[in-house]
Amino acid sequence: MKMLHYWLEFEESMGKSWDKYLNKKVHKFHEDARVNFEDISKNLHIFHRLMGGAKAKELRITDKRYVETSRTLLEKISFLGKEFFLSWQDEEALYLPASFAYFATKEHNEMLYYWLVALGAQVGTITNHNLLEENLKAVAYLRSRYSGFDTFYKEATAYLMQKYEQLAFLELLDEHSNADLIATYPNPLWIYPPAITPSAALKSDADEEPLREEGKDKSDELQMKKQSEQIDDKHETDGFLAFLPESLMSIFEQVNVDRCEDDSFDEDALYHAEDLDEITVGQKQANLSARIKMDLELLPDNTVTYPLGKGHYVDEWDYQKNDYLKNYARILPQVTMNVVPVELPQRLKKTVKKIQGELDMLKLDRIKNDRLPYGDELNIDSWIEYMSHQNKSMHHQNFYTTYEKKTRDMATLLLADISLSTEGGITQEMRIIDVIKDSLMVFSEALEKLEDKFAIYTFSSLQNKKVYFNIIKNFKDSYDALIRGRIESIKPQYYTRMGAAIREATKILDKQESANKLLLIISDGKPNDEDRYDGRYGIEDTKKALQEIKKKGITPFCITIDLDAKEYLSYLFGRNGYAIVRDGAKLPKVLTEVYINLTK
Amino acid sequence: MSKTYYLPQANEVELFHAAAQMKLPVLIKGPTGCGKTRFIEAMGEQLGREVYTVVCHDDLSAADLVGRHLISDEGTYWQDGPLTKAVRNGGICYIDEIIEARKDTTVVLHSLADYRRVLPIDRTGEVIEAHPDFMLVVSYNPGYQNVLKGMKPSTKQRFISLSFSYPKPDIEKEVIIQESGVDADSAQKLVDIASEIRQLSDTDIQEAVSTRLLIYAAKLMVRGFDAYDACMHSIVESLSDEADVLEVLAKLIELHFPKADNA
Repeated sequence: MKMLHYWLEFEESMGKSWDKYLNKKVHKFHEDARVNFEDISKNLHIFHRLMGGAKAKELRITDKRYVETSRTLLEKISFLGKEFFLSWQDEEALYLPASFAYFATKEHNEMLYYWLVALGAQVGTITNHNLLEENLKAVAYLRSRYSGFDTFYKEATAYLMQKYEQLAFLELLDEHSNADLIATYPNPLWIYPPAITPSAALKSDADEEPLREEGKDKSDELQMKKQSEQIDDKHETDGFLAFLPESLMSIFEQVNVDRCEDDSFDEDALYHAEDLDEITVGQKQANLSARIKMDLELLPDNTVTYPLGKGHYVDEWDYQKNDYLKNYARILPQVTMNVVPVELPQRLKKTVKKIQGELDMLKLDRIKNDRLPYGDELNIDSWIEYMSHQNKSMHHQNFYTTYEKKTRDMATLLLADISLSTEGGITQEMRIIDVIKDSLMVFSEALEKLEDKFAIYTFSSLQNKKVYFNIIKNFKDSYDALIRGRIESIKPQYYTRMGAAIREATKILDKQESANKLLLIISDGKPNDEDRYDGRYGIEDTKKALQEIKKKGITPFCITIDLDAKEYLSYLFGRNGYAIVRDGAKLPKVLTEVYINLTK
Repeated sequence: MSKTYYLPQANEVELFHAAAQMKLPVLIKGPTGCGKTRFIEAMGEQLGREVYTVVCHDDLSAADLVGRHLISDEGTYWQDGPLTKAVRNGGICYIDEIIEARKDTTVVLHSLADYRRVLPIDRTGEVIEAHPDFMLVVSYNPGYQNVLKGMKPSTKQRFISLSFSYPKPDIEKEVIIQESGVDADSAQKLVDIASEIRQLSDTDIQEAVSTRLLIYAAKLMVRGFDAYDACMHSIVESLSDEADVLEVLAKLIELHFPKADNA
């Protein structure tokens, strides 16, 4: 028994070293120069917009795809060279490999990302038929326009052709080349269609088991959205098989997404996913990144939402009737009780400090007072005026100027949308609502420093009967740990009946006596609610509410994280009445900067 | 013969001449560095009128426009401000960035900007009728978002408006070559860079690169600076302070003008 055990162990270690040897032999990657998408994704996003890529398009990570190729003998022995990271794009996003290590230097591998992003922004819709044509066209354009890309492309192609003999066809290519040629070996410098057609019919190499890549960074897999293949079920012209027949009976087809019984789902899925050549994802957006919420170590939540009064009604605009629906939406003011006072979180301190430093330099609060009988500086103008006047005795000798530290005559109401959509993630760890909370805190710190008057309210709605209007801080409250506690206790709920909330905010601002009044709205999308308050109805009502507020001399301004927002926002707020924050994580800083810009 | 170089973008020259003839005031809006001031200078030369420029700021008072009393050995005397000078002698009074001035300051312009064409000076009790060659021109940059500032509609609605934007690529290229003497190839690349940077809307950078900055870059290149360095110092660093944006812009420049040590 013991003997057998040893033997098995021996065999396993032998297998491992053989595997290692082969991998080394066949893998032509430069691990020390590997560049990860994640490290430069931020820059790539900006670059994508710079290159004229569609603004709302995302950049995502793709997984390996199975491609039928001609392989070298060693590759065949090691089962390598079957799966490739290809770049591809659809309406929503450009999909790039998680990391590159083709080239010997980091600069080149990084450049490959930039190249692909530029190419992605340049090419049109790529199908199996125009793959060659589109790529060649875009490549030619980029090479002629950017000498940097030209050099890179030349170097990269030469290097790749030398490393991968199958790529030699690149040299022979022109627009008239046979399209079949390109499918012989995938070129990492091109953008591929969402679904690729193998050039030859699928051969049945049934014995070959899918290979697991050893020594590969697991973290890649963890953060990767397995979007490698989308079934091209809209255009069914090319007779493409979305699965490999030979793996049909294996673990390929079913990973139980409904996982109420499967505790270790994530691990298993990862394990299986690694083993697969392809993962097919349907067009339906299943919520794969759903999370289980468990408040394990937290104190029990004692907060209670306490209604303030029975609520009151505001009008709503019905664009179809072209008239107001009188007292249609019911506003329910609320306040959260039993909140725990909170100190400013450590992660925000740096931002706050930086912004406060900027505020110091601005000296927004210095107000010049002229013509005083005493003061810091002599005002020569008033003296000359006095001297030049015919009848000096009629005038007072007020020749002085002072700079007074004075609060500005500003009242700002910050209205935050906390509908359920804010539960959505900006990144895996950060939800929109978290960013909004952070922004509220940073903003409060800044306005506290400026000594400007401000109030914070949040809103959400459940049809016209329930428009919840939560008080975080009214104009009289002073900003302290308790207010921060209230900010911390904000929870996303329900929908966005924006018009009603704006009307309620208008009422509150209208009672303020400041000369300048500002309504700042933070939102993550269009107005919408369960009932017909969606689409045009919601937008028209919000538009009407904004017209009303402008009539009262209050300036509305909207900051949104909604990338597609441009259309309706400029309709609602006017060209200069909104700002879109592309990088949600920057919202705290941007919000405060927008405020300073608006009021300086 | 006009000495100031100005290449028209559209029909702005004809419009301006017509407005000058009919004694109508003109409002010019456009982003920074797109040629507003240059346009006025060129027009002044073409029409043979002097240009009095006032750049507005927060503390600009009506006295800065109209004039004030000053002291001499004999006592005080009245000194005309730029606006009054132009009104008296004829000429173009160009009020730049009018939005920066407080709203109440600009109200003095009202009586000049309609059919009355008079300037009352309350300190001296004078009412000056405008010279036939007097013309009022104001400009501002509509891109700034501000609650406290902005033009009163009553001021805005007294002007003929010309809207400027960055010139079209071929015109911009021509302007860069003329202004700096750089070769056509580099000018084309600068225009390419600009058209790409202008795709980054106001969320990544506050305002896109101006023609003025492109000319600066071209001038540095003519002076013998490496093209990459010239662009970095004149274009990239002026546009943003955000590290990630800077990095990407640097990358873009490098794609057009490879760094000296790589080439």
